[in-house]
Amino acid sequence: MSDTRVIVGSIAGAFGVRGEVRLKSFCADPAAIADYTPLYTDRGDRSFATIVVTGQTKNALTARIDGIVSKEDADALKGTNLFAERECLPSLPDDEFYHADLIGLTVVDTGGAELGTVRAVQNHGATDLLEIHSPGARASVLLPFTRAAVPTVDLASGRIIADPPDGLFE
Amino acid sequence: MARSVWKGPFVDAYVLKKAEATRESGRNEVIKIWSRRSTILPQFVGLTFGVYNGQKHIPVLVTEDMIGQKFGEYSPTRTYYGHAADKKAKRK
Repeated sequence: MSDTRVIVGSIAGAFGVRGEVRLKSFCADPAAIADYTPLYTDRGDRSFATIVVTGQTKNALTARIDGIVSKEDADALKGTNLFAERECLPSLPDDEFYHADLIGLTVVDTGGAELGTVRAVQNHGATDLLEIHSPGARASVLLPFTRAAVPTVDLASGRIIADPPDGLFE
Repeated sequence: MARSVWKGPFVDAYVLKKAEATRESGRNEVIKIWSRRSTILPQFVGLTFGVYNGQKHIPVLVTEDMIGQKFGEYSPTRTYYGHAADKKAKRK
């Protein structure tokens, strides 16, 4: 699978007997998965050009996908993850970033010393938090994603410059 | 049943002391607290508290719309990661 693709959903199985599938969407707005076509399978050997969301069922969407015409086709794809090209995601205004872009970036302090890499982005209702894993550290550190604590995000060079509050990296 | 208004909001005394000390010093630091039950007061706006969730201190930058809530509401004790997909983070 290419590094430029991000996982957006998975096929949970067949829905009915006419080739519809149950589709688990990992997107912020579940129905938005249909906007990111073409979607690719894990190994990239198969792509789906169109997805039409037809409804909703328990914990999933129901959808019609091109190339899947029978229940057997749908069942054969059960458990398949679906990936979208990163370029298919719409561009964002300044100070907004996709989690997929932030995860994996190297975090350095204002002096240039490496603090770790971003492992995840969390939000518990206050600000977004970058979960930073330092090499050799037992636990990861949560850094508030604010202009004061994270003055620079350089996606091109894969680096975040952080000015963490005192006592956070101890 | 709601708390009686005449009592005022509950805040552990040490939280008030720590917040006041940090505000006076003007230092940029995370105020570590264990009191998840304390109410967020207007004088806490702009400060960053590290609210204990039983395992570690979760940084919580207090903003105006959080006033009246409890600190524990912003420091969950269970974490679900999920997939990044098209989720966005906004730098405030």
